[in-house]
Amino acid sequence: MAEAAGKDSEKIVSYCYQCVAGPDLLKVTTQDGVPTMVEPNFSAATIHPAGGKVCVKAFGLIQKTNNPNRILTPMKRTNPKKGRDQDPGFVPISWDEALDIIAEKLNEARSKGLLDNSGFPRVAASFGGGGTPTAYMGTFPAFLAAWGPVDMSFGSGQGVKCYHSEHLYGELWHRAFTVSPDTPLVELVISFGANVEASGGVCGVRRHADARARGVRRIQVEPHLSITGAASAEWVPIRPKTDTAFLFGMLNVVLHEEGLSRLDVPFLKHMTSSPYLVAPNGFYLRDPDSGKPLIWDLGRNAAVPYDTPDTDPALEGEYTVSGLETGPDDVEWHHRDIGCRPAFALLQSHVEDWTPEWAGDICGVAPDKIREVARAFLDHAHIGETIEIEGRTLPFRPVAISLGKTVNNGWGGYECCWARTLLACLVGGLEVPGGTLGTTVRLNRPADNRWSSVTPGPDGFMHYPMNPTKKGEWHSSSRSRHAHQTLVPLAANSPWSQALGPTHLAWMMQQKGFDKLPEPTRPDVWFVYRTNPAISFWDTNAVSKVMADFPFTVCFAYTRDETNHMADILLPECTDLEGLQLIRIGGSKYVEQFWEYQGFALRNPVAPPQGEARDFTWIATELARRTGLLEKYNASINKGAAGVRLFGENFDFSLSEDEPHEVEEIWDNICRAASAELTDGKESQGLDYFREHGFRVDRFPKEQWYLYPALHEQGLRFELPYQERLLRVGQELKARLHEAGITWWDRQLREYEAMPHWQDLQKIWEDALEKGFGVKIDDYPFWLLTARSMQYSWGGNVGIQMIHEVAGNVAGHGGVVMNPEAAARLGVGEGDMVEVTSPLASTKGPVILRNGIRPDTLLMLGQFDHWATPYAKEHRAPSMNALTPMMLELTDATGSGADIVKVRVTPLGGRK
Amino acid sequence: MTRYAIVADLNRCVGCQTCTAACKHQNATAPGVMWRKVLDFEAGTFPDVRRAFVPVGCMHCDEPPCLDVCPSTATKKRADGIVTIDYDICIGCAYCAVACPYDARYRVDEARPAYNGKGKMRHEAVREDPARLGVAQKCTFCVDRIDAGIKAGLVPGTDPEATPACVNSCIAQALTFGDIDDPDSNVSKLLRENRTFQMHEELGTGPGIFYLWDRGREGVVPDQSPEFVPDPVGLDRVSPRLQKNWDWRAAANFVFGGAGTGLMLAAALDGLVDGPSRLLLFLALALVGAGLLCVWLEIGRPWRFFNVYRHARRSWMTREALAALPYFAFGGLGFLLANEWLALIAAGFGLFFVYAQGRILHAAKGIPTWRSPRIVPLIVLTGLTEGLAALTIVGPLVGAGASSSVYAAAMLILLVALRLAAWRAWRHGLEQEGVPKASLRALDASGLSLSTVNQIAVVALGVASFVLPGLLPLAGLAALLTGWAFKYRLVTRAAHTQGYALARMPARGGGKAARGIKPGWWRAA
Repeated sequence: MAEAAGKDSEKIVSYCYQCVAGPDLLKVTTQDGVPTMVEPNFSAATIHPAGGKVCVKAFGLIQKTNNPNRILTPMKRTNPKKGRDQDPGFVPISWDEALDIIAEKLNEARSKGLLDNSGFPRVAASFGGGGTPTAYMGTFPAFLAAWGPVDMSFGSGQGVKCYHSEHLYGELWHRAFTVSPDTPLVELVISFGANVEASGGVCGVRRHADARARGVRRIQVEPHLSITGAASAEWVPIRPKTDTAFLFGMLNVVLHEEGLSRLDVPFLKHMTSSPYLVAPNGFYLRDPDSGKPLIWDLGRNAAVPYDTPDTDPALEGEYTVSGLETGPDDVEWHHRDIGCRPAFALLQSHVEDWTPEWAGDICGVAPDKIREVARAFLDHAHIGETIEIEGRTLPFRPVAISLGKTVNNGWGGYECCWARTLLACLVGGLEVPGGTLGTTVRLNRPADNRWSSVTPGPDGFMHYPMNPTKKGEWHSSSRSRHAHQTLVPLAANSPWSQALGPTHLAWMMQQKGFDKLPEPTRPDVWFVYRTNPAISFWDTNAVSKVMADFPFTVCFAYTRDETNHMADILLPECTDLEGLQLIRIGGSKYVEQFWEYQGFALRNPVAPPQGEARDFTWIATELARRTGLLEKYNASINKGAAGVRLFGENFDFSLSEDEPHEVEEIWDNICRAASAELTDGKESQGLDYFREHGFRVDRFPKEQWYLYPALHEQGLRFELPYQERLLRVGQELKARLHEAGITWWDRQLREYEAMPHWQDLQKIWEDALEKGFGVKIDDYPFWLLTARSMQYSWGGNVGIQMIHEVAGNVAGHGGVVMNPEAAARLGVGEGDMVEVTSPLASTKGPVILRNGIRPDTLLMLGQFDHWATPYAKEHRAPSMNALTPMMLELTDATGSGADIVKVRVTPLGGRK
Repeated sequence: MTRYAIVADLNRCVGCQTCTAACKHQNATAPGVMWRKVLDFEAGTFPDVRRAFVPVGCMHCDEPPCLDVCPSTATKKRADGIVTIDYDICIGCAYCAVACPYDARYRVDEARPAYNGKGKMRHEAVREDPARLGVAQKCTFCVDRIDAGIKAGLVPGTDPEATPACVNSCIAQALTFGDIDDPDSNVSKLLRENRTFQMHEELGTGPGIFYLWDRGREGVVPDQSPEFVPDPVGLDRVSPRLQKNWDWRAAANFVFGGAGTGLMLAAALDGLVDGPSRLLLFLALALVGAGLLCVWLEIGRPWRFFNVYRHARRSWMTREALAALPYFAFGGLGFLLANEWLALIAAGFGLFFVYAQGRILHAAKGIPTWRSPRIVPLIVLTGLTEGLAALTIVGPLVGAGASSSVYAAAMLILLVALRLAAWRAWRHGLEQEGVPKASLRALDASGLSLSTVNQIAVVALGVASFVLPGLLPLAGLAALLTGWAFKYRLVTRAAHTQGYALARMPARGGGKAARGIKPGWWRAA
């Protein structure tokens, strides 16, 4: 809405989607046409879950827009040599020249075929921030859709900096791309390093602040006292990467020290796979006629298919039964009168040895603390209670467990996600009010809301679009350089799947190809937007060298940075406050965006673009025109590639396909379609309406925050505790890979267990580093971790002075956080410069002493180490990214690694 | 009545700095200037560690120390409790900045762009306010928003348009603004229903930011003072820091002002014997003049210095400046006419001048070493001692008869002893009541101090001068230099701010509150 705000001043609405926890709505004040001030959009106070507020990052947008370091004209590289040590020699050129150069490269690539000789797309693209760049790239997705296959596997943080195991297993088990407590109702949260107060955005912060005001108890289990730890009732300083043992210890307490009487038995019997009988080879025993898994009905005293009405399924005991067992590749075993136990009984045995004493030794936590936490989990579960949500009576289980990034990333991620989701199931707290919820779907379809994606799959569980592993169906190669279809069945094959593949493999294979996979090739054209993998990925030196070898790179550039240092063309696009776009808002979305509304919000330009910067939609249209793809591009927009389908049952605002359209015309039609979509075609207000009002929403049913009703209505069960499907998929994948001669993924195949075993994760890291680098691991006594900074995370705002200034108030920025006891041992004090060295590389920074960190742990907040980004490079802040190697040995079955490495510290003398 | 205040819920605050940024937007503050900011506290040692985030800024105190000290009356307090600064009359002396125990005031002397060497960004150019250069600035509680809002019929604290930007922006709803005199207001309700503390309550300033540290008010909570942690780890940003508002130029005023006025008295008394030495009188005037010149060079708006006379009712800086007028008038006449009686009258005003200097430091509540009541006799005695000491050094050169007499020596010994006693009392008081440890370190760092050992040596020299009169100037020199060095060090080195402290570490959610922390502070057991 444009409203008067004093003389020569007005307020213009926009949104902030700089981080994955958005979008949030804001207003910008302009004075004499100059954007001067950001403030919350209180017009949205009643519809936005956090009252129309925006976080600190949004306040960086004024400086971002007016930053003197912005690139304001298209530029081309004049130095053909690329590398950190090379001056790119960028010179300004006209838009015509820049677009012609790009179009020529694209047309040349297209003429050779969309896929290269290895079957990889010739065009690649990397976008940062968990999908947020799409909220700023206008109709560029329509251009990419018109183009055809694009390789998105060159990650900028995906897989190494994300909640990877949670993404994949979460979607499998409860449509939970990310997982959240039902914070408004929860009583107890046990958080293993989840730093929601730094990464949860305004909605996460608000919900948890409200929860604390209600007296919610949150126990933060993590090696350093994060922002979230600070805001928690209790901090348990666990050894890095030993969370599995803590969670397994909790399972032992719940299942053995406490027992079935304290669990939600009806939920386990009827909403999970707990009663399914497991046959000798580890697969379900099935009814030979229907192929359905069998359960033992205590009422009938007989084995019956799981979906037989009026059963009282056994959870414990062993029963003599006959039936069919189906293994990988449909191999069948027919069993007669064999002893079979329900999955739950197997689970009890599985966790028997994981006593709190066992776990305590591993975690460095008192066993009684683990007991206390587990019992508190049961005490607060309110088993048997219900609550009414919008007229529907649902179970009420106000306990939840959250997992942080390094906990559910890389090895151990499966175990932790499984244990967390299982603990929720044991108390009937999965996807019910107060309990453990998913936020959104990214791999399952349709993606409009989570309920829509609940469709029946095999064995009474939800369908999941695994990449096929059966003989004849398996993809021996993928349309991505990281082989996500080949190696990771759980990555599925949605538009998001490439981002959820093993992205570091794409970088690694550029250095050395993987045996029996297609020959590595470089993309002919690489587009980069809102990401800086030369800083944000691991082994940044290697990643930088790889990108320096790419033949033609186009960066949509805000300022110079470490990635666009290797670019051939820099394009200045309108930044956040200058571009025009309509996006979807509302529903339920990560990190903790649970709305009671859904609809659309406009990014309304608050000022004309500076210099020669152009709207992204104009750039996309021009690229489409110059590559002969205009019709396909317009058709893609019509089909919804820019976020809204332009036609429906009662409306049609399609663009004519054979001509280019002005930016405003395109978005006017999109706005009209959005209005029509929300009103079933009754209304069709366009851009003017959104400019005046800023957003337009309709109700989103709160009951859809919870998946339980959707499953219950379809008679479906949560696929826990037993992972028969994964066991089968794993064995099939192993067979396919071995048939293809691929054995280097064998370690990962061991993750496909029906119920995960404990692994000594610290040892996995230590052994891999020792072997991989030929070092003595004892020479690297510290575990180096990182944590998100709310001021910076995903913001691409390291070059913003104001952000640097205010972030300085939060301890830990710009240095190496160290416990004073460890510092005393090293003879260093506050501000002393040290070199931190991993087996791979080293970085330098000043010591920041804090008591809230384990003496065996170091922390480097955020991602820095900039050497090209203006302003940021002056600060020489350390980052762990250059120190963290990309290693197959440290890659889990989902294709992710964890943000952790072992290091040593050398005092350098002197102070920063 | 109306009393606007902010309630900051430490259970809710996550230290995100959104309020800090929103304030910078609303008020277009210069780089490095944060009228509102959120501190990051830590208490305890591993593994029993607590961390808390604490929004701070101008507290809009009931009894604002900044208001009392302001010589120009630029700082005012409105009936609704808001403390304001009139940029048009402020002289930029920064006295308010050292008087504020919350480190809330800034002075920016030149417009600095956010990106050095790149010129002003266009929004910086649009919003620059030259009136704010060289003067004191601080949080205004967004008084313009409040006034405009009220005018439009809105309620501050309820309607965003009438509420401070920091409160509006707070994503955790940790900040609430309102009228604590209205029992039905949002803030009054919070104060009734929660346990609260104000920062540095013991200073009696009545700060207008209330911190909620525990939910509910049931049960009795034992009194518990925060833990003094003399050598805190990782708390540099919240611990006392060396004030930078007053540098050597301010110190010179105390050094020369004390010695000059003391010399005026000594010279006048000396003159009662044989008539005054005009040179000594000139020196007494010149020293005070030099001190004032130095301090004039320090103020941000030197051409407004006459505004220093606007606050005789409360500001000791105004009174000091007032005392200087008759001091120069009578002293000048005494010099011109070589009249000891005029000099004696000038010395009387000089005594008041140096007393005012003591009171100036005492009123600077933001600097614990200065604000001790024992600083006043110490400053007066240093002035007298150094004046007499100057006489014993210069007097013999200009033929001042009494300057080398045993009376002078006896008087010097007496003054040095009294000065030592005053110093010891002051120092003892600091140790008993608590003091930033860094200030004590700074005091002890120099050999040239008022320590007992040094002063006994001075006294010994004085006594020896009874036998060897030639030693008296040496004793005088020692008395003078140790006194000057002390005052220079007091103003520029042992001048750490109050820092920040928490009366309690807040309860978080279902957790428990814990003992508070006063980082960087030490006191004798």
